[in-house]
Amino acid sequence: MKAMREVAIVGIGQHPWGQFPEKNMQEMGVECTVDALKDANMSWRDIQSAAYGAYMWIADRGGVPSLLMGTSIARMMGETGIPMVNCVNACASGQAILREAVLAVASGHADTAIAVAADKSAGGFFRPQLRDPSPSKFDRGAENDTDYIRFCMTGETNPAYWAMELRRRMYDVGTTDEVLAMAKHITSQGAVNNPYARYRKVFTIEEIKASKYIADPLRLFEICATSDGAAAVIVTTLDNAKKHNKKPLLVKAITIGTPTFGDPTIRLTFCSAYPRPGVLDLSESRNAINVIYKISGLQPADIDIIELPDNSSWHYLVYLECILGLKAGEADKMLMSGKVHPITGELPVCSGGGVAAQGEAVVAQGLSQVCQLVRQMRGEAGDGQVKKTKLVNGLAQTYGYAGNNAACILSKAW
Amino acid sequence: MAKKQVPIIEGLFTWPSDRPQLLASKCKKCGAYFFPKVPYCGNPDCAKDKANMEVVPLSNTGTMYTFTIHTAQPALPFRMEPFTPYGVAMVDVAEGMRVLGMTTTTEGLKIGQQVQMTVGKLYEDADNEYITWMWKPVEK
Ligand SMILES: [Zn+2]
Repeated sequence: MKAMREVAIVGIGQHPWGQFPEKNMQEMGVECTVDALKDANMSWRDIQSAAYGAYMWIADRGGVPSLLMGTSIARMMGETGIPMVNCVNACASGQAILREAVLAVASGHADTAIAVAADKSAGGFFRPQLRDPSPSKFDRGAENDTDYIRFCMTGETNPAYWAMELRRRMYDVGTTDEVLAMAKHITSQGAVNNPYARYRKVFTIEEIKASKYIADPLRLFEICATSDGAAAVIVTTLDNAKKHNKKPLLVKAITIGTPTFGDPTIRLTFCSAYPRPGVLDLSESRNAINVIYKISGLQPADIDIIELPDNSSWHYLVYLECILGLKAGEADKMLMSGKVHPITGELPVCSGGGVAAQGEAVVAQGLSQVCQLVRQMRGEAGDGQVKKTKLVNGLAQTYGYAGNNAACILSKAW
Repeated sequence: MAKKQVPIIEGLFTWPSDRPQLLASKCKKCGAYFFPKVPYCGNPDCAKDKANMEVVPLSNTGTMYTFTIHTAQPALPFRMEPFTPYGVAMVDVAEGMRVLGMTTTTEGLKIGQQVQMTVGKLYEDADNEYITWMWKPVEK
Protein backbone atom coordinates (compact mmCIF):
# COMPACT_ATOMS: atom_id res chain seq x y z
CA MET A 1 0.00 0.00 0.00
CA LYS A 2 1.20 3.51 -0.80
CA ALA A 3 1.20 6.17 1.88
CA MET A 4 -2.18 7.90 2.28
CA ARG A 5 -2.78 10.87 -0.02
CA GLU A 6 -4.73 14.05 0.62
CA VAL A 7 -8.17 13.89 -0.97
CA ALA A 8 -10.47 16.72 -2.04
CA ILE A 9 -14.01 17.14 -3.27
CA VAL A 10 -13.84 18.29 -6.87
CA GLY A 11 -17.45 17.98 -7.99
CA ILE A 12 -20.96 17.81 -6.57
CA GLY A 13 -24.35 17.11 -8.12
CA GLN A 14 -27.68 17.18 -6.38
CA HIS A 15 -31.23 16.40 -7.40
CA PRO A 16 -33.86 18.46 -5.56
CA TRP A 17 -35.58 16.77 -2.62
CA GLY A 18 -39.35 16.15 -2.82
CA GLN A 19 -41.65 13.66 -4.49
CA PHE A 20 -40.89 12.65 -8.08
CA PRO A 21 -43.23 9.82 -9.08
CA GLU A 22 -42.32 10.28 -12.75
CA LYS A 23 -38.69 9.22 -12.22
CA ASN A 24 -37.04 6.10 -10.89
CA MET A 25 -34.07 6.18 -8.55
CA GLN A 26 -31.57 5.22 -11.22
CA GLU A 27 -32.62 8.19 -13.39
CA MET A 28 -32.19 10.52 -10.43
CA GLY A 29 -28.78 8.97 -9.77
CA VAL A 30 -27.73 9.53 -13.38
CA GLU A 31 -28.86 13.16 -13.30
CA CYS A 32 -26.80 14.02 -10.26
CA THR A 33 -23.82 12.02 -11.52
CA VAL A 34 -23.85 14.03 -14.75
CA ASP A 35 -24.09 17.27 -12.75
CA ALA A 36 -21.20 16.25 -10.50
CA LEU A 37 -19.02 15.36 -13.52
CA LYS A 38 -19.79 18.74 -15.07
CA ASP A 39 -18.95 20.49 -11.80
CA ALA A 40 -15.67 18.56 -11.66
CA ASN A 41 -14.91 19.23 -15.32
CA MET A 42 -14.54 15.48 -15.85
CA SER A 43 -16.09 12.72 -17.92
CA TRP A 44 -17.59 9.41 -16.77
CA ARG A 45 -14.50 7.55 -17.99
CA ASP A 46 -12.37 9.54 -15.51
CA ILE A 47 -14.13 7.78 -12.62
CA GLN A 48 -12.02 4.85 -11.43
CA SER A 49 -13.95 3.67 -8.39
CA ALA A 50 -17.52 4.12 -7.22
CA ALA A 51 -19.60 3.62 -4.07
CA TYR A 52 -23.40 3.63 -4.05
CA GLY A 53 -26.12 3.92 -1.45
CA ALA A 54 -28.20 0.74 -1.54
CA TYR A 55 -31.90 1.52 -1.28
CA MET A 56 -33.42 0.11 1.91
CA TRP A 57 -37.17 -0.18 1.27
CA ILE A 58 -37.14 -2.73 -1.53
CA ALA A 59 -40.25 -4.36 -0.06
CA ASP A 60 -42.11 -1.20 -1.25
CA ARG A 61 -40.38 -0.28 -4.50
CA GLY A 62 -37.23 -0.55 -6.51
CA GLY A 63 -36.54 -4.21 -5.89
CA VAL A 64 -33.16 -5.85 -6.08
CA PRO A 65 -31.81 -3.52 -8.82
CA SER A 66 -32.11 -0.68 -6.32
CA LEU A 67 -30.36 -2.67 -3.63
CA LEU A 68 -27.59 -3.36 -6.17
CA MET A 69 -27.66 0.30 -7.14
CA GLY A 70 -24.14 0.61 -8.56
CA THR A 71 -24.42 -1.78 -11.44
CA SER A 72 -28.00 -0.74 -12.18
CA ILE A 73 -26.95 2.93 -12.50
CA ALA A 74 -23.93 1.80 -14.55
CA ARG A 75 -26.36 0.24 -17.07
CA MET A 76 -27.53 3.80 -17.77
CA MET A 77 -24.21 5.64 -17.39
CA GLY A 78 -22.43 3.02 -19.45
CA GLU A 79 -20.48 0.13 -18.01
CA THR A 80 -16.76 0.88 -17.66
CA GLY A 81 -15.69 -2.08 -15.52
CA ILE A 82 -14.63 -0.07 -12.47
CA PRO A 83 -14.96 -1.34 -8.87
CA MET A 84 -18.39 -0.56 -7.38
CA VAL A 85 -19.70 -1.21 -3.91
CA ASN A 86 -23.26 -0.89 -2.57
CA CYS A 87 -23.67 0.14 1.03
CA VAL A 88 -26.53 0.26 3.51
CA ASN A 89 -25.72 2.11 6.72
CA ALA A 90 -29.27 3.41 7.12
CA CYS A 91 -29.53 7.21 7.02
CA ALA A 92 -25.76 7.46 7.49
CA SER A 93 -25.11 5.67 4.17
CA GLY A 94 -24.38 8.87 2.22
CA GLN A 95 -21.31 9.75 4.22
CA ALA A 96 -20.37 6.08 4.57
CA ILE A 97 -20.04 5.78 0.78
CA LEU A 98 -18.21 9.09 0.57
CA ARG A 99 -15.71 7.59 3.03
CA GLU A 100 -15.30 4.60 0.70
CA ALA A 101 -14.60 6.93 -2.22
CA VAL A 102 -12.16 9.00 -0.15
CA LEU A 103 -10.31 5.90 1.05
CA ALA A 104 -10.06 4.57 -2.50
CA VAL A 105 -8.25 7.75 -3.53
CA ALA A 106 -6.26 8.20 -0.32
CA SER A 107 -4.89 4.66 -0.57
CA GLY A 108 -3.81 5.08 -4.17
CA HIS A 109 -6.22 2.42 -5.35
CA ALA A 110 -7.91 5.01 -7.59
CA ASP A 111 -7.10 8.61 -8.52
CA THR A 112 -10.73 9.67 -8.87
CA ALA A 113 -13.80 8.16 -7.21
CA ILE A 114 -17.49 8.93 -6.90
CA ALA A 115 -20.13 8.41 -4.22
CA VAL A 116 -23.74 8.35 -5.46
CA ALA A 117 -26.99 7.78 -3.61
CA ALA A 118 -30.52 7.94 -4.94
CA ASP A 119 -33.51 7.29 -2.74
CA LYS A 120 -37.30 7.29 -2.77
CA SER A 121 -38.32 7.16 0.85
CA ALA A 122 -41.36 9.45 0.53
CA GLY A 123 -44.53 8.03 2.07
CA GLY A 124 -45.02 7.95 5.83
CA PHE A 125 -43.40 6.14 8.76
CA PHE A 126 -40.59 3.76 8.00
CA ARG A 127 -41.69 0.22 8.81
CA PRO A 128 -40.32 -3.30 8.87
CA GLN A 129 -39.83 -5.17 5.61
CA LEU A 130 -41.96 -8.09 6.81
CA ARG A 131 -45.56 -6.91 6.51
CA ASP A 132 -47.56 -9.86 7.85
CA PRO A 133 -49.09 -8.87 11.21
CA SER A 134 -49.42 -12.52 12.35
CA PRO A 135 -46.07 -14.08 11.45
CA SER A 136 -45.98 -16.65 14.24
CA LYS A 137 -48.16 -18.88 12.15
CA PHE A 138 -45.79 -19.16 9.23
CA ASP A 139 -42.58 -17.22 9.82
CA ARG A 140 -40.51 -18.10 12.85
CA GLY A 141 -37.83 -15.72 11.59
CA ALA A 142 -39.83 -12.81 13.00
CA GLU A 143 -38.68 -13.88 16.46
CA ASN A 144 -35.20 -12.63 15.59
CA ASP A 145 -36.30 -9.47 13.76
CA THR A 146 -36.16 -6.89 16.53
CA ASP A 147 -37.29 -4.19 14.11
CA TYR A 148 -40.47 -6.18 13.52
CA ILE A 149 -40.92 -6.89 17.22
CA ARG A 150 -40.52 -3.27 18.29
CA PHE A 151 -42.91 -2.09 15.58
CA CYS A 152 -45.68 -4.69 15.94
CA MET A 153 -45.50 -5.44 19.64
CA THR A 154 -44.52 -2.07 21.14
CA GLY A 155 -45.92 0.29 18.49
CA GLU A 156 -42.59 2.09 18.42
CA THR A 157 -42.25 4.16 15.24
CA ASN A 158 -39.14 6.25 14.68
CA PRO A 159 -40.87 9.45 15.94
CA ALA A 160 -42.06 7.51 19.02
CA TYR A 161 -38.43 6.84 19.91
CA TRP A 162 -37.43 10.46 19.32
CA ALA A 163 -40.40 11.62 21.42
CA MET A 164 -39.39 9.38 24.32
CA GLU A 165 -35.84 10.70 24.31
CA LEU A 166 -37.23 14.21 24.10
CA ARG A 167 -39.60 13.75 27.05
CA ARG A 168 -36.69 12.55 29.15
CA ARG A 169 -34.65 15.56 28.04
CA MET A 170 -37.49 17.89 29.03
CA TYR A 171 -37.53 16.19 32.45
CA ASP A 172 -33.74 16.29 32.86
CA VAL A 173 -32.79 19.73 31.51
CA GLY A 174 -36.11 21.55 31.07
CA THR A 175 -36.31 21.85 27.28
CA THR A 176 -39.55 23.72 26.50
CA ASP A 177 -42.17 23.65 23.74
CA GLU A 178 -40.90 27.10 22.76
CA VAL A 179 -37.39 25.77 22.14
CA LEU A 180 -38.70 22.84 20.08
CA ALA A 181 -40.79 25.12 17.90
CA MET A 182 -37.82 27.50 17.54
CA ALA A 183 -35.60 24.72 16.17
CA LYS A 184 -38.04 24.25 13.28
CA HIS A 185 -38.80 27.95 12.87
CA ILE A 186 -35.16 28.99 12.68
CA THR A 187 -34.00 26.22 10.33
CA SER A 188 -36.95 26.83 8.01
CA GLN A 189 -35.50 30.28 7.35
CA GLY A 190 -32.54 28.61 5.66
CA ALA A 191 -34.79 26.67 3.30
CA VAL A 192 -36.47 29.64 1.63
CA ASN A 193 -33.59 30.22 -0.81
CA ASN A 194 -32.37 26.63 -1.10
CA PRO A 195 -33.53 25.27 -4.48
CA TYR A 196 -32.85 21.70 -3.30
CA ALA A 197 -35.19 21.91 -0.28
CA ARG A 198 -38.68 20.45 -0.40
CA TYR A 199 -40.42 22.89 1.98
CA ARG A 200 -39.21 26.35 1.05
CA LYS A 201 -41.24 28.42 3.49
CA VAL A 202 -40.82 29.89 6.93
CA PHE A 203 -42.84 28.01 9.54
CA THR A 204 -44.05 30.38 12.26
CA ILE A 205 -43.81 29.49 15.94
CA GLU A 206 -47.61 29.69 16.12
CA GLU A 207 -48.26 27.22 13.29
CA ILE A 208 -45.62 24.82 14.58
CA LYS A 209 -47.16 24.85 18.05
CA ALA A 210 -50.63 24.44 16.53
CA SER A 211 -49.62 21.38 14.50
CA LYS A 212 -50.95 18.10 15.85
CA TYR A 213 -48.98 15.72 18.03
CA ILE A 214 -47.63 12.68 16.21
CA ALA A 215 -45.93 11.28 19.29
CA ASP A 216 -46.39 13.59 22.27
CA PRO A 217 -44.32 15.80 22.94
CA LEU A 218 -43.28 15.89 19.24
CA ARG A 219 -45.57 17.65 16.79
CA LEU A 220 -46.04 17.13 13.06
CA PHE A 221 -43.93 20.16 12.11
CA GLU A 222 -41.18 19.17 14.53
CA ILE A 223 -40.55 15.87 12.73
CA CYS A 224 -39.00 15.60 9.26
CA ALA A 225 -41.02 14.16 6.41
CA THR A 226 -39.73 11.43 4.13
CA SER A 227 -38.64 12.40 0.61
CA ASP A 228 -37.16 11.36 -2.70
CA GLY A 229 -33.69 12.71 -3.42
CA ALA A 230 -30.32 11.96 -4.98
CA ALA A 231 -26.81 13.36 -4.78
CA ALA A 232 -23.31 12.61 -6.05
CA VAL A 233 -19.87 13.71 -4.87
CA ILE A 234 -16.61 13.23 -6.79
CA VAL A 235 -13.27 13.12 -4.99
CA THR A 236 -9.73 13.06 -6.30
CA THR A 237 -6.23 13.81 -5.06
CA LEU A 238 -5.84 17.36 -3.79
CA ASP A 239 -3.30 18.11 -6.53
CA ASN A 240 -5.59 16.83 -9.27
CA ALA A 241 -8.59 18.61 -7.76
CA LYS A 242 -6.81 21.96 -8.09
CA LYS A 243 -6.45 21.35 -11.83
CA HIS A 244 -10.15 20.64 -12.27
CA ASN A 245 -11.86 23.06 -9.89
CA LYS A 246 -10.89 26.50 -8.62
CA LYS A 247 -12.44 25.73 -5.26
CA PRO A 248 -11.59 22.22 -4.10
CA LEU A 249 -12.54 21.21 -0.56
CA LEU A 250 -10.09 19.07 1.33
CA VAL A 251 -11.70 16.12 3.11
CA LYS A 252 -9.93 16.78 6.38
CA ALA A 253 -11.59 13.82 8.11
CA ILE A 254 -14.45 11.42 7.43
CA THR A 255 -15.60 8.49 9.48
CA ILE A 256 -18.41 6.11 10.39
CA GLY A 257 -19.60 5.91 13.99
CA THR A 258 -21.04 2.81 15.65
CA PRO A 259 -22.16 2.26 19.26
CA THR A 260 -20.21 1.32 22.38
CA PHE A 261 -21.36 -1.65 24.48
CA GLY A 262 -23.32 -0.38 27.47
CA ASP A 263 -24.92 2.61 25.71
CA PRO A 264 -28.13 3.40 27.64
CA THR A 265 -30.04 4.27 24.44
CA ILE A 266 -32.66 1.77 23.24
CA ARG A 267 -31.68 2.39 19.64
CA LEU A 268 -34.26 2.18 16.87
CA THR A 269 -34.91 -1.41 15.75
CA PHE A 270 -33.98 -2.74 19.20
CA CYS A 271 -36.13 -3.50 22.26
CA SER A 272 -33.74 -3.03 25.18
CA ALA A 273 -30.50 -1.51 26.41
CA TYR A 274 -28.07 -2.62 29.10
CA PRO A 275 -26.63 0.68 30.37
CA ARG A 276 -23.10 0.50 31.78
CA PRO A 277 -21.44 3.08 34.01
CA GLY A 278 -19.48 5.69 32.08
CA VAL A 279 -21.06 4.99 28.68
CA LEU A 280 -23.03 7.96 27.34
CA ASP A 281 -26.14 7.89 25.18
CA LEU A 282 -25.84 8.26 21.38
CA SER A 283 -22.40 6.67 21.61
CA GLU A 284 -22.31 6.02 17.86
CA SER A 285 -22.62 9.75 17.26
CA ARG A 286 -20.10 10.73 19.93
CA ASN A 287 -17.68 8.12 18.61
CA ALA A 288 -17.89 9.54 15.08
CA ILE A 289 -17.38 13.13 16.27
CA ASN A 290 -14.42 12.19 18.49
CA VAL A 291 -12.73 10.47 15.55
CA ILE A 292 -13.10 13.36 13.08
CA TYR A 293 -11.73 15.86 15.59
CA LYS A 294 -8.83 13.54 16.32
CA ILE A 295 -8.00 12.89 12.64
CA SER A 296 -8.32 16.55 11.66
CA GLY A 297 -6.55 17.98 14.69
CA LEU A 298 -9.38 20.49 14.94
CA GLN A 299 -11.72 21.26 17.81
CA PRO A 300 -15.26 22.62 18.04
CA ALA A 301 -14.05 26.25 18.13
CA ASP A 302 -12.43 25.75 14.70
CA ILE A 303 -15.69 24.83 12.98
CA ASP A 304 -17.26 27.65 10.94
CA ILE A 305 -20.42 26.02 9.61
CA ILE A 306 -22.39 22.91 10.52
CA GLU A 307 -24.87 20.59 8.84
CA LEU A 308 -26.44 18.47 11.57
CA PRO A 309 -29.18 15.82 11.30
CA ASP A 310 -32.32 17.65 12.45
CA ASN A 311 -34.62 14.69 11.79
CA SER A 312 -36.69 16.20 14.63
CA SER A 313 -36.38 19.19 16.94
CA TRP A 314 -34.97 16.79 19.54
CA HIS A 315 -32.19 15.79 17.14
CA TYR A 316 -31.31 19.42 16.49
CA LEU A 317 -30.59 20.01 20.17
CA VAL A 318 -28.74 16.80 20.99
CA TYR A 319 -26.60 16.92 17.84
CA LEU A 320 -25.64 20.55 18.42
CA GLU A 321 -24.44 19.43 21.84
CA CYS A 322 -22.69 16.35 20.43
CA ILE A 323 -20.83 18.30 17.73
CA LEU A 324 -19.80 21.23 19.91
CA GLY A 325 -19.09 19.19 23.04
CA LEU A 326 -21.78 21.05 25.04
CA LYS A 327 -23.48 19.89 28.22
CA ALA A 328 -27.06 18.63 27.96
CA GLY A 329 -29.33 21.67 27.88
CA GLU A 330 -26.79 24.16 26.54
CA ALA A 331 -28.04 23.81 22.96
CA ASP A 332 -31.38 25.30 24.00
CA LYS A 333 -29.71 28.55 25.05
CA MET A 334 -27.50 28.65 21.99
CA LEU A 335 -30.48 28.16 19.70
CA MET A 336 -32.51 30.88 21.39
CA SER A 337 -29.54 33.32 21.24
CA GLY A 338 -29.58 33.38 17.42
CA LYS A 339 -25.91 32.37 17.24
CA VAL A 340 -26.77 29.32 15.15
CA HIS A 341 -29.21 30.99 12.74
CA PRO A 342 -28.84 29.20 9.38
CA ILE A 343 -28.12 32.40 7.42
CA THR A 344 -27.21 35.21 9.80
CA GLY A 345 -25.65 33.21 12.64
CA GLU A 346 -22.02 33.54 13.67
CA LEU A 347 -22.04 29.72 13.48
CA PRO A 348 -24.54 28.88 10.72
CA VAL A 349 -26.30 25.53 11.34
CA CYS A 350 -28.39 23.79 8.66
CA SER A 351 -27.94 26.65 6.21
CA GLY A 352 -30.27 25.09 3.63
CA GLY A 353 -33.04 24.30 6.10
CA GLY A 354 -31.64 20.96 7.20
CA VAL A 355 -33.39 17.61 7.13
CA ALA A 356 -36.50 19.34 8.47
CA ALA A 357 -36.90 21.28 5.22
CA GLN A 358 -35.84 18.43 2.97
CA GLY A 359 -37.56 15.41 4.40
CA GLU A 360 -35.33 12.45 4.72
CA ALA A 361 -34.24 10.56 1.60
CA VAL A 362 -32.49 7.93 3.64
CA VAL A 363 -29.33 6.79 1.91
CA ALA A 364 -28.83 10.10 0.06
CA GLN A 365 -29.18 12.34 3.11
CA GLY A 366 -25.51 12.44 4.07
CA LEU A 367 -24.43 13.45 0.56
CA SER A 368 -27.02 16.21 0.51
CA GLN A 369 -25.46 17.66 3.66
CA VAL A 370 -22.01 17.50 2.08
CA CYS A 371 -23.29 19.21 -1.10
CA GLN A 372 -24.80 21.98 1.00
CA LEU A 373 -21.52 22.53 2.88
CA VAL A 374 -19.59 22.62 -0.41
CA ARG A 375 -21.94 25.21 -1.95
CA GLN A 376 -21.67 27.44 1.12
CA MET A 377 -17.92 27.11 1.52
CA ARG A 378 -17.38 27.90 -2.17
CA GLY A 379 -19.75 30.89 -1.83
CA GLU A 380 -22.09 29.41 -4.44
CA ALA A 381 -25.33 29.22 -2.47
CA GLY A 382 -26.82 32.24 -4.24
CA ASP A 383 -29.62 33.97 -2.33
CA GLY A 384 -29.23 31.28 0.33
CA GLN A 385 -25.57 32.15 1.00
CA VAL A 386 -24.76 32.58 4.68
CA LYS A 387 -23.72 36.07 5.78
CA LYS A 388 -20.58 34.82 7.49
CA THR A 389 -17.59 35.14 5.16
CA LYS A 390 -14.92 33.11 7.00
CA LEU A 391 -15.85 29.55 6.10
CA VAL A 392 -12.64 27.55 6.46
CA ASN A 393 -13.86 24.39 8.17
CA GLY A 394 -17.30 22.84 7.77
CA LEU A 395 -18.68 19.83 9.63
CA ALA A 396 -21.52 17.51 8.62
CA GLN A 397 -22.98 14.72 10.71
CA THR A 398 -25.72 12.27 9.73
CA TYR A 399 -27.92 10.26 12.07
CA GLY A 400 -28.87 6.75 11.05
CA TYR A 401 -31.08 4.34 12.89
CA ALA A 402 -29.93 1.11 14.56
CA GLY A 403 -26.71 2.82 15.69
CA ASN A 404 -25.37 4.00 12.33
CA ASN A 405 -23.65 7.36 12.19
CA ALA A 406 -21.19 9.21 9.98
CA ALA A 407 -19.45 12.57 10.09
CA CYS A 408 -16.89 14.58 8.15
CA ILE A 409 -14.94 17.83 8.22
CA LEU A 410 -14.22 19.69 4.99
CA SER A 411 -11.63 22.45 4.73
CA LYS A 412 -11.13 25.22 2.21
CA ALA A 413 -8.18 24.29 -0.06
CA TRP A 414 -7.66 27.34 -2.27
CA MET B 1 -66.40 -19.31 25.40
CA ALA B 2 -63.46 -16.98 25.93
CA LYS B 3 -61.02 -16.77 23.05
CA LYS B 4 -57.52 -18.08 23.47
CA GLN B 5 -54.92 -15.38 24.15
CA VAL B 6 -51.94 -15.83 21.82
CA PRO B 7 -48.75 -13.75 21.83
CA ILE B 8 -48.20 -12.02 18.45
CA ILE B 9 -44.75 -13.61 18.54
CA GLU B 10 -44.19 -16.53 20.89
CA GLY B 11 -41.24 -16.84 23.22
CA LEU B 12 -40.78 -13.23 24.28
CA PHE B 13 -42.48 -13.64 27.67
CA THR B 14 -43.67 -16.49 29.89
CA TRP B 15 -47.12 -17.51 28.67
CA PRO B 16 -49.68 -18.64 29.67
CA SER B 17 -49.09 -17.20 33.12
CA ASP B 18 -50.90 -15.31 35.88
CA ARG B 19 -47.77 -13.27 36.36
CA PRO B 20 -46.07 -13.00 32.94
CA GLN B 21 -42.38 -12.08 32.75
CA LEU B 22 -40.19 -11.03 29.83
CA LEU B 23 -37.64 -13.66 28.85
CA ALA B 24 -34.08 -12.34 28.60
CA SER B 25 -30.68 -13.88 28.02
CA LYS B 26 -28.13 -13.51 30.81
CA CYS B 27 -24.39 -14.01 30.42
CA LYS B 28 -23.07 -16.24 33.20
CA LYS B 29 -19.59 -14.73 32.80
CA CYS B 30 -20.19 -10.97 32.90
CA GLY B 31 -23.82 -10.74 34.06
CA ALA B 32 -25.06 -8.75 31.05
CA TYR B 33 -28.73 -9.06 30.06
CA PHE B 34 -30.28 -8.94 26.61
CA PHE B 35 -33.91 -8.80 25.51
CA PRO B 36 -35.15 -10.43 23.34
CA LYS B 37 -33.00 -13.51 23.84
CA VAL B 38 -29.66 -13.67 22.02
CA PRO B 39 -27.38 -16.61 21.25
CA TYR B 40 -24.16 -14.84 22.31
CA CYS B 41 -23.17 -12.27 24.92
CA GLY B 42 -22.80 -8.81 23.32
CA ASN B 43 -20.02 -7.78 25.67
CA PRO B 44 -16.97 -7.39 23.41
CA ASP B 45 -14.76 -8.93 26.10
CA CYS B 46 -16.84 -12.12 26.52
CA ALA B 47 -16.21 -15.35 24.63
CA LYS B 48 -18.81 -16.08 21.96
CA ASP B 49 -19.87 -19.28 23.67
CA LYS B 50 -23.55 -20.22 23.66
CA ALA B 51 -23.02 -22.26 26.83
CA ASN B 52 -22.42 -18.97 28.71
CA MET B 53 -25.96 -17.80 28.02
CA GLU B 54 -28.99 -18.70 30.10
CA VAL B 55 -32.62 -17.70 29.65
CA VAL B 56 -33.95 -15.83 32.68
CA PRO B 57 -37.31 -14.18 33.39
CA LEU B 58 -36.95 -10.45 34.12
CA SER B 59 -38.50 -8.70 37.12
CA ASN B 60 -42.04 -7.88 36.17
CA THR B 61 -41.96 -4.51 37.91
CA GLY B 62 -39.91 -1.47 36.97
CA THR B 63 -39.54 2.29 36.92
CA MET B 64 -40.74 4.50 34.08
CA TYR B 65 -37.67 6.07 32.41
CA THR B 66 -39.66 7.87 29.73
CA PHE B 67 -42.73 7.50 27.52
CA THR B 68 -44.67 8.97 24.62
CA ILE B 69 -48.32 9.00 23.65
CA HIS B 70 -48.51 8.01 20.02
CA THR B 71 -51.51 9.57 18.33
CA ALA B 72 -50.77 8.76 14.68
CA GLN B 73 -51.70 5.29 13.40
CA PRO B 74 -48.76 3.24 12.06
CA ALA B 75 -49.29 1.14 8.92
CA LEU B 76 -49.13 -2.66 8.75
CA PRO B 77 -47.55 -4.79 10.10
CA PHE B 78 -48.59 -2.83 13.23
CA ARG B 79 -52.15 -3.90 13.89
CA MET B 80 -54.40 -2.56 16.64
CA GLU B 81 -58.18 -2.89 16.33
CA PRO B 82 -59.89 -0.61 17.03
CA PHE B 83 -57.06 1.92 16.81
CA THR B 84 -56.70 4.33 19.71
CA PRO B 85 -53.77 6.54 20.72
CA TYR B 86 -51.39 4.42 22.79
CA GLY B 87 -48.46 4.83 25.11
CA VAL B 88 -44.95 3.54 24.47
CA ALA B 89 -42.47 3.49 27.35
CA MET B 90 -38.89 2.72 28.29
CA VAL B 91 -38.82 1.02 31.69
CA ASP B 92 -35.84 0.32 33.95
CA VAL B 93 -36.01 -3.08 35.66
CA ALA B 94 -34.00 -4.38 38.63
CA GLU B 95 -31.59 -6.40 36.48
CA GLY B 96 -30.19 -3.13 35.13
CA MET B 97 -31.95 -3.32 31.77
CA ARG B 98 -33.98 -0.66 30.04
CA VAL B 99 -36.88 -2.27 28.18
CA LEU B 100 -39.36 -0.99 25.62
CA GLY B 101 -43.08 -1.71 25.76
CA MET B 102 -46.57 -0.32 25.28
CA THR B 103 -48.48 1.01 28.28
CA THR B 104 -51.94 -0.15 29.32
CA THR B 105 -53.20 3.43 29.50
CA THR B 106 -52.40 6.89 28.15
CA GLU B 107 -53.65 8.54 31.37
CA GLY B 108 -51.50 9.51 34.32
CA LEU B 109 -48.16 8.39 32.92
CA LYS B 110 -45.19 9.92 34.76
CA ILE B 111 -41.42 9.58 34.60
CA GLY B 112 -40.26 7.79 37.75
CA GLN B 113 -43.54 5.99 38.47
CA GLN B 114 -43.65 2.29 39.28
CA VAL B 115 -45.03 0.01 36.57
CA GLN B 116 -45.86 -3.66 36.37
CA MET B 117 -45.66 -5.94 33.35
CA THR B 118 -48.89 -7.40 32.09
CA VAL B 119 -50.34 -8.36 28.72
CA GLY B 120 -52.86 -6.62 26.51
CA LYS B 121 -54.77 -7.42 23.34
CA LEU B 122 -54.01 -5.59 20.08
CA TYR B 123 -56.44 -7.41 17.76
CA GLU B 124 -58.42 -10.65 17.44
CA ASP B 125 -59.83 -13.09 14.92
CA ALA B 126 -62.55 -15.75 15.20
CA ASP B 127 -60.45 -17.99 17.46
CA ASN B 128 -57.78 -15.95 19.16
CA GLU B 129 -56.93 -12.68 20.82
CA TYR B 130 -53.42 -11.51 19.85
CA ILE B 131 -51.50 -10.08 22.75
CA THR B 132 -48.26 -8.29 23.55
CA TRP B 133 -46.50 -7.29 26.77
CA MET B 134 -47.51 -3.97 28.32
CA TRP B 135 -46.46 -1.80 31.25
CA LYS B 136 -49.19 -0.87 33.71
CA PRO B 137 -48.77 1.99 36.20
CA VAL B 138 -49.25 0.78 39.79
CA GLU B 139 -50.56 2.77 42.75
CA LYS B 140 -48.01 3.45 45.43
ZN1 LIG C 1 -20.84 -11.63 28.88
